[in-house]
Amino acid sequence: MNLKIYLSLLLFPLGYFVDAQTCCSGGIPLSNNIGMAILEKGSTQIGIAYDYNNLNTLNNGSNKLDDNARLRITHSVLVNASYAITDHFSVEGLLTWVNQRRKITQFGGVNLDQSSGVGDALLLAKYNFSDVIGKNTDLNIGIGSKIPLGSSTEKSDEGITLNADLQPGSNAWDIIYFTSVSKSMNFRPSLSVSSRIIYRSTGTNNDYFGDSTYKFGNDFQAFVGFSDQFLLFKTITSPSLSFKYRNAQQDKIGGFNLDNTGGNWISVIPNFSININQNLVFSTKAELPIYSNVDGTQLTPTYRLTTGILFTIAPKKKFKLLI
Amino acid sequence: MKTKIFYLFMMVLAITACGGGGDDGLPNSGENTGDPLPVNTFSDWLIPKNEVKDGGPGKDGIPSLDSPKFVAASDAGASFLTDDDLVIGVVIGNDIKAYAHSILNWHEVVNDEINNNFITVNYCPLTGTAFGWNSNASGEKTTFGVSGLLYNANLILYDRKTGSNWAQLRLQCVNGTLKGDEPVLINVVETNWKTWRTLYPNTKVLSRSTGFSRNYNNYPYGDYKTNQNFFIFTPSPLNSALPNKERIYAIMDENVAKVYQFQKFSGGKAIKELFNGKEYLLVGNENIINSFELTGNQSSLIFEYSFTNGEQFFKDNEGNKWSVFGKAIEGPRIGEELKTSKSVVSFWFAIAAFYPNPQIFN
Repeated sequence: MNLKIYLSLLLFPLGYFVDAQTCCSGGIPLSNNIGMAILEKGSTQIGIAYDYNNLNTLNNGSNKLDDNARLRITHSVLVNASYAITDHFSVEGLLTWVNQRRKITQFGGVNLDQSSGVGDALLLAKYNFSDVIGKNTDLNIGIGSKIPLGSSTEKSDEGITLNADLQPGSNAWDIIYFTSVSKSMNFRPSLSVSSRIIYRSTGTNNDYFGDSTYKFGNDFQAFVGFSDQFLLFKTITSPSLSFKYRNAQQDKIGGFNLDNTGGNWISVIPNFSININQNLVFSTKAELPIYSNVDGTQLTPTYRLTTGILFTIAPKKKFKLLI
Repeated sequence: MKTKIFYLFMMVLAITACGGGGDDGLPNSGENTGDPLPVNTFSDWLIPKNEVKDGGPGKDGIPSLDSPKFVAASDAGASFLTDDDLVIGVVIGNDIKAYAHSILNWHEVVNDEINNNFITVNYCPLTGTAFGWNSNASGEKTTFGVSGLLYNANLILYDRKTGSNWAQLRLQCVNGTLKGDEPVLINVVETNWKTWRTLYPNTKVLSRSTGFSRNYNNYPYGDYKTNQNFFIFTPSPLNSALPNKERIYAIMDENVAKVYQFQKFSGGKAIKELFNGKEYLLVGNENIINSFELTGNQSSLIFEYSFTNGEQFFKDNEGNKWSVFGKAIEGPRIGEELKTSKSVVSFWFAIAAFYPNPQIFN
């Protein structure tokens, strides 16, 4: 297939404040904030976001079961930074702090198990090809790794080691593949359509519970979105709407597929951003599932909210004196 | 002014987003009634604490059935059972009940009342072990629930009177105020539906109308029952003498066990055995085995398997006819009951993990 045709199939935006959701490492939105735009050489971007992931929907396949006794919540604070080494090449990193909660409300009792701490990190290198698939287009490709900084041996209040899903970290290195394409419309340059694909090839925790192995399922995510910019009270605002498809393969435990993990999801993600000033953007978005088809019976996302700010520090301009 | 408006707007958005993070709302559940559950603050365990594992669903994440409903075997509500489906069978007085694995896989614990006896039928899908015991904790009636914890891949229950944790296959409270207590066992058998229905055609069957929304047609653990090397939680020690997931019948006494393979009982057998200084009678066929500790002049009886149709399962040389639960239903000893042994049907690996180096009947 012709490269341009292939790439054009990936058509995709990429606002400055990225609108991706999440590859889950036990619910941690690691890929939520990756994919910052590649700005001019020397530019630095720093983002801080809070992410709330609520899983209170029990599904059997695509059927919603009438049972909301189980509530699984992940609170995450995400700090990411990107630096443009050249006009086309940047490196970005993501650090996380997470609070994982599992709350069962049953038989008149409420049982809460939780863990908190530094989560896994992520490092991603990206290269930008401008106008390679047409005028006013951007193509970014990247590769990175999830770095297992988070603890995977946290214990409950009773001193019992929690299972993989409730751990802040995974104790596994993952490989992240990233590509995004965006195109600005000729008739309205502020309007862009964009697409992004993130694939996470997961590693294995070889010391799960001290006597087994655990591997989260490989994770594929594709986004298609539309964004525009408007002036509101003399300030640039950027609403966008994205659709996300996610496929997660079954987790593996001891090398065997673990039932009731993995599945397919489609979500809609409305996003709203405001340029507080030239260098600071505030953004908030929600991820709302519109289709879930899980393997077996499992909790599936009910909704996710993400709010954050993004600072951009442009390089100092050098002026030449004309004599 | 506009800047202030924007900051206010942003704060509202942030509060909205963060407010969504609240998780203090109580989800609705049809079973959310009753007294608050006791909190178990005891940190000492009779089993290695570092080998107690979080199963994933959490405490009561697998909900016990506390108000079970039953239907007659002939009722349409029992038609989900096929001949080969495994059930746990209990008979107390004239009350006869069957609890299907396909339901127990999703609930693991049924707190029930049979003939004015409060009993807890519990089943661990990962070790394939089922017991019935009195619903008592510290001498008081209670119910049991699923703690969400496992030891050697086996269910740990908790009682709702004290919050103490009970290791199922160890048959002992291992943590909490009742640490060291042992449950009072009820005689239960595990067999397929065809056998149970033939023994007790008037049986009632645990209904799928449990009050919980589950797909009881699905077995939730994939090929776990047949994949000999697949463990969700690793037991220890493993023993390669038999395939890990082979269903066996085991008699347990103190810290030792003796294992009987179902195929050794093909066609029906009654066997007297000496094990750990006690004399046992084992009676069964390829689908069901039960055992009894022989006491007094019962040792002199010669037993013979005689199951064809109906409650009679074996007989003896005195002319007595016995049920599968060891109760004389005809003959000079009518009404006499053989002493129930401490026994269970289990996956081989579980018995080998809890009772290392078990003897195997040959």
